[in-house]
Amino acid sequence: MSEQQKDRMPTLRMLIDGHGDTHIARKRHRMYFILGFGTLLSVIIFVMMLCIGPTGLLNPIEALSNLFSAIGKDGSEMTPEEVMVFSSRLPRAIAAFAVGFGLSVAGAAYQAVIRNPLVDPYIMGVSSGAGTLAIAVIAFDFTFFGLISSNSVFLIAIAAIIGGLFAFLLTMALAHRAGSTTNAYVLSGVVIGLVFGAAQTIMIVFSGNKVSDVLLWLFGSFANITWEKALFILVPSIILCILIMRYAKEMNLVLLGENQARQMGLNVKRFNAIILTVASILTAFCVAFCGIIGFVGLVIPHLCRMIFGGDHRLVLPASIALGGALMMAADLAARMIIPGTELPVGAITTLIGVPVFAYLLFVRGKMYNG
Amino acid sequence: MDETPILEIRNLNKIYENGYHANKDVSFSLPSGKLVGLIGPNGCGKTTMMRSINKMHIPTSGDILIDGESVLPKTPTEVAKLVSNVPAEMTASFGLTVFETVMLGRYPYLQNMWWETEEDESLVEDVLKKFGVYHLQDRALNMLSSGEQQRVLIAKAYVQQPRLMLVDEPTSHLDMKYKLDVMEYLRAMVKTDMTILVAEHDISLMARYCDLCVIMKKGELVAIGDPKKVITPELIQDVYDVSATVGLDEEGDIYVLPKRYHKQGELSDSESL
Repeated sequence: MSEQQKDRMPTLRMLIDGHGDTHIARKRHRMYFILGFGTLLSVIIFVMMLCIGPTGLLNPIEALSNLFSAIGKDGSEMTPEEVMVFSSRLPRAIAAFAVGFGLSVAGAAYQAVIRNPLVDPYIMGVSSGAGTLAIAVIAFDFTFFGLISSNSVFLIAIAAIIGGLFAFLLTMALAHRAGSTTNAYVLSGVVIGLVFGAAQTIMIVFSGNKVSDVLLWLFGSFANITWEKALFILVPSIILCILIMRYAKEMNLVLLGENQARQMGLNVKRFNAIILTVASILTAFCVAFCGIIGFVGLVIPHLCRMIFGGDHRLVLPASIALGGALMMAADLAARMIIPGTELPVGAITTLIGVPVFAYLLFVRGKMYNG
Repeated sequence: MDETPILEIRNLNKIYENGYHANKDVSFSLPSGKLVGLIGPNGCGKTTMMRSINKMHIPTSGDILIDGESVLPKTPTEVAKLVSNVPAEMTASFGLTVFETVMLGRYPYLQNMWWETEEDESLVEDVLKKFGVYHLQDRALNMLSSGEQQRVLIAKAYVQQPRLMLVDEPTSHLDMKYKLDVMEYLRAMVKTDMTILVAEHDISLMARYCDLCVIMKKGELVAIGDPKKVITPELIQDVYDVSATVGLDEEGDIYVLPKRYHKQGELSDSESL
């Protein structure tokens, strides 16, 4: 980088890039920045999630002491405040964090493999398939022909995961028949998504007095999150994100096009299949418990690219930090903006994210030319 | 000079699934440190042969040896360390910078490492300087002109440190100045012991810059040798079905001037036009 460019560099850029003279040194510094700043931001918002809620405000010390005393009691004979922090707010914060980073990483992975900036985690039909079976359960008490108890807290989630993965498999099969090109994946996903979307519309028409429950699920919400559900999102999300992170270098390589990537030694078909499958399972888990939350998976990866550059070794960890933090902040806002009423968190993620994204697009949008 | 040829192709045949016989019993070898032009009409099997050489597909029969060893049993990563490829054009998505693009040439050497090493970085910096794109290193690749992009793609193929570089129609989108620019860079690169095989339609350009020319027609090898000896009006007539003047300018450089494809009066007589 020239001296002149360095002189013009704002303080924030210095904070992100450090004083390194080499590209590798700057990238390493960006990674430290992501780890440090991302952890700090996530911890702050996480603690705020424990402190703030419609049932009462606590200061951070009270919230943390209630949390630790509840953990000390192993979850039994808790005071009302301990219950509020430990059983209600903590799982909700964990779920929001996990869904935020899961959808962001899945979005970044899809965008890299399909090499299209407009792609979001729902491109392969996962959300449509998940929504269709979830609606079948919510509106028509579908119990997989009696295989799962209708009282199971996991019924909707299991239905959503099965529906999402079924739609994904249909998309993959269609794309495979169409030659496994990136356009084949996108078009197959769109077609399968439309089919399930149509099925959803028909079911909604016949859902009678359950229509509001159906719509609430489709909008996405963390309202009914329990400890079990939170762990069911968190653990798979962490494992699947680590799997995707292992392919960060390869995601850079495929940006040069499939032929170049193959010529450099990458088995592109296998790579595409692995990443699309892992990202789709990740998306299915994120959608299963909280419904369809838009915007995060589309925009967070771009936000990270605009701040830290296009290298996926930085985009993926940054997506984890920013995606998790933004989702927690959005959930906090969804609960607190109108006291007593919970707004759809997907709408809030969009309202928070759009101004930031529009600003960055304005400043750095040229990187998407060509 | 090393006696083992850098590239040896033995009885190469490629028949596609639809029955099209794209390479017919092609055999030739190339010594190290040469710039070699691969010439022939559209559809003569140039690209098919290049794809066999870097194992993008498996030939129907025959063998391809690099430094005396067959590439067929090698893994894609091993082949990537021996053969690099410069595509005719490429758009890097999501604003990959020039530096990042060129650094991707080190990918075959980076197994199990998260970051590239300092050595990789200094190699890339040297190459960026050599190719005159050092000052563009932080620019997005898709913001550069076609000529600059082509140089970056060649630089990327160069940091792959191959024995053989395959270059596919490098000047097809370029104006006169950048055509010469690209050929001069390719010419300079073979001062090392790397051999470069360039598929290109501009025969004059190939004849002027290349040490050897490989001429193909309908999947078969027609001729190989010194361009000044190989390229003749008869050969052009045979391969392209075009009559052409082949001459030497005052500096002794060969030029090819295509004259006509259709016979005199053929088109003006046609009532269908």
